[in-house]
Formats: sequence, C-alpha cells, structure tokens
Amino acid sequence: MSYPKFRYAVPKTVRDAVEILHAATEKGEKAIVLAGGTDLMVQLREKSLVPDLVVDISRVTSLTKIERMGNEIRIGPLVTHSMLASSDLIREYVGVLSEAARTVGSPQIRNLGTLGGNIVNASPAADTIPALVILDAQLILTGPKGDRTLPITDFFEGPYETVIEADELLTGVIVPLPPPSGRAIFLKLARRKALAIARMNLACMLYYNRQKEVFEWVRLCVGSSTPRPVRMTEAEKILEGQPFTDVVLQKAGQAAAEQMVALSGLRSSTAYKKPVVGDLVIRAVKLAVEKG
Amino acid sequence: MEEKLGEEIVEISAMVNGTSVVLRTPANRTMLSILREDLHLTGVKEGCGIGECGACTVIMDGKVVNACMVLAPKMDGATITTIEGLGDEENLHPLQKAFIEHGAVQCGFCTPGMILSAKALLDEKPHPTRLEIREGISGNLCRCTGYQQIVDAIESVAEGGMEEGR
Repeated sequence: MSYPKFRYAVPKTVRDAVEILHAATEKGEKAIVLAGGTDLMVQLREKSLVPDLVVDISRVTSLTKIERMGNEIRIGPLVTHSMLASSDLIREYVGVLSEAARTVGSPQIRNLGTLGGNIVNASPAADTIPALVILDAQLILTGPKGDRTLPITDFFEGPYETVIEADELLTGVIVPLPPPSGRAIFLKLARRKALAIARMNLACMLYYNRQKEVFEWVRLCVGSSTPRPVRMTEAEKILEGQPFTDVVLQKAGQAAAEQMVALSGLRSSTAYKKPVVGDLVIRAVKLAVEKG
Repeated sequence: MEEKLGEEIVEISAMVNGTSVVLRTPANRTMLSILREDLHLTGVKEGCGIGECGACTVIMDGKVVNACMVLAPKMDGATITTIEGLGDEENLHPLQKAFIEHGAVQCGFCTPGMILSAKALLDEKPHPTRLEIREGISGNLCRCTGYQQIVDAIESVAEGGMEEGR
C-alpha cells in the first residue's frame, strides 16, 4: 500500500507548530495537522488527502492535559478518547463527555484518536461533539496573530467544514462546569456496539425540578442529523416550564423531528431518521430525569 | 525554523520486543509496514488497513493501537510489543497456551492482535468479567470462532470474574 509522498515535521511547541503551518501556507503548500491519525491515516491511504507537509503535533506536550481552572475544565486537544473515558475529573464534572468518548471506535481507536481530532475532522457523526455542544464548550484556536475563542457551535460550517484557517491550531477546549442540578445522558444508535459510526447520537442535559414538577432547563443536541451541530431549541422550549408527562414528551420529540427536517431538508434517510430522532429525544429525557 | 519545513526521510529509534531498533525511512509509511517489511515481524497482520479489524494490533507504550493507523515517524521513542515479543514455540505465553487449549484459533489471522488486546486488558484489569473481556477485544474481528472460545481462553487466564454476560 503506497501513501502519497510528503514531508514530515514534528514541532514540540504550539508556537513552532503554528510557525510551520504559517510558513507552509505562505509558500502555497498544503500542510495538514496530524494528531492521533485515526481519520487522517484513512484519508492518506485513500489519497483523498494529498498533503505537501504533515505536521505531527503529538509531541506538543502542553496540549495533552485535563485541568480544572476555577469554574471550567480545560481539555487539551491531544487528550485521547481513552483518557476522556477514564479521567476522574471528566467523569466527576462532565460525565456525559466521558460517556460519549467511551462509545468511539474500539479500544485501539480510543487510545489513538484525540478530542481535538474528533472536533476538527468535523464529521457529522462525531460522538464527542453533541456532548460538547450541550456543555456550552468553547474552542481556542491559535494562529500566527494569537488566540481566538469561539463557541463550539460557531466552529462548524457544514459536514467536514470548519472555520479553522490553514495556519491555525486548535489548542484548547474549555468546558464550563455545568450547574450541579443538571442531569446528562448520551445515547448512540449504530449498527453494532463497537467500532460503529453513529447513525445518530444525542446528548441531553436537563434540570427537572421535582418540587415544582417542571423542567427548569433543557439542552439537547442530536448528531448525524443536521448539517451543523445545533441545539434542538424547539424541543427545549416545549419542555421548559412543563411537567414530565407523556404528552409533553411526545410534543418535544415531534418538535425535534421537525427541526431536524427543517435544517436538513428531506433526504433519503429522513423516513428513518424523523421518527427515530423523536423517540431518541423522548428516551434521553426520560433517562436523564430518572437520574434523579 | 527549519528552512526546508520538514523532512521526507526520518530517523526512528524505538524499543521493539525488548530490542533497540534504529532505522531511517520515508515518512509516508505506517508502523505496520515498518514492523512487517523492515523488522520482519510478520505476526502483525494487515487486514483492512483502516483501523476496523484489529489484525495489526500491537502494544505501543502500554496501550493497544492499530499499527495501520500509526504513521511510521510516531514510532520514534516508543516501546512496542508485537506477538513475537510475547513468547516463542518452546516458551508460550499463558494466553497463547490458553488459546490453543480452548480452540480459540482457527485460521489464525486475528490471533496475534486478539492475544495482544487480551494481554493489554489483563495488564490493566487482571480479573475482568466476560462483558469486560468482550469489550476489551471489541476492536478485533474474528470470522471463524464466533468469539466464545476466545472469551473462554482469556477468562481461563484471568481466573475468577466470570459472572456477567455468560
């Protein structure tokens, strides 16, 4: 099996990585960033990606940390799915991200694949993205002129399309600590349990006030169903302020299904996805409420 | 800043099966190709080449990875164990013995990767449940055995922990 010919650079710092990306871009070269490689290696093999230069950032050790800083968790983009699945800090404060990471690929893939790679590759089926969306995550992009920070929902332009510039690097994922009252759940539908790309996945976090018997707030994001990851705001609005009843849940499911179709248009998969997205939303809300 | 922006040829220095290895190679290769073609460790199999089948599983710095998903230069500084590093014909590893005893090997193509996944699992969790064993080998496809004998073999080495999922 032959791979396209390219040059290889292995910077040790963010500054060096950005300088290399910038210099290559200035020369009109195609430079790509390599982290865990679980997506890129396939694209290189298929030659759907033919770079002049591969910039391997896996030795930039400053990007491998998970830290709590005040009211937020900062996750380095080189943190692997295995690390997310097993990190005490992630499990304690943002467990839904750990649950999402645990469903990615196989042990081998989770040991290689990184959070940053999952985000930047921007597959609509990425498992960590719906979790990050309901967690209101922010991304830090570092370029030759410095850093910019943006909400994760502003990062994506479409399937496999993002706003990152050729000489920018994702250098941090900031996750604000969710309110302690929030209960979260991640669901994934796929052909088999392991090694499967999500047909659909969903992250949900909500606070159901048992005294008042109403949903105080709800955050829902369904993956693999819209061109860009978005919150299912119509379903959220229907639930908020309402009691936990079958009628309310049915309405919320219906609203999510309609919002999906409005965003994606009618596609060959719509006949399947429309009823399923509604059911998934209902199931997720029930499971989150059952968490207490 | 390097004037040339990266190199087509890289030098790799790695510890493979307890032996220090230094080699120069074009950067556009996989660890799988280095292990098989340069180091002749042909127990590492190429199945799909895209990280789905697990036939090329090796242990890299204590963790199982698909060798086809690792660009060769990433081997630099790493410690790698292939099936050849586990035991030999006179001195089989307990997992190798158990696979033979339980009929967990048929065509044999998945076996090296399967055993390495089992080893990494047991290193981390010496007494896994059957469910944990199945999760541990979920990245390794076997088209012959139906997996039961493989899980039995791993369980026999692990001892205990056999309640769930039976």
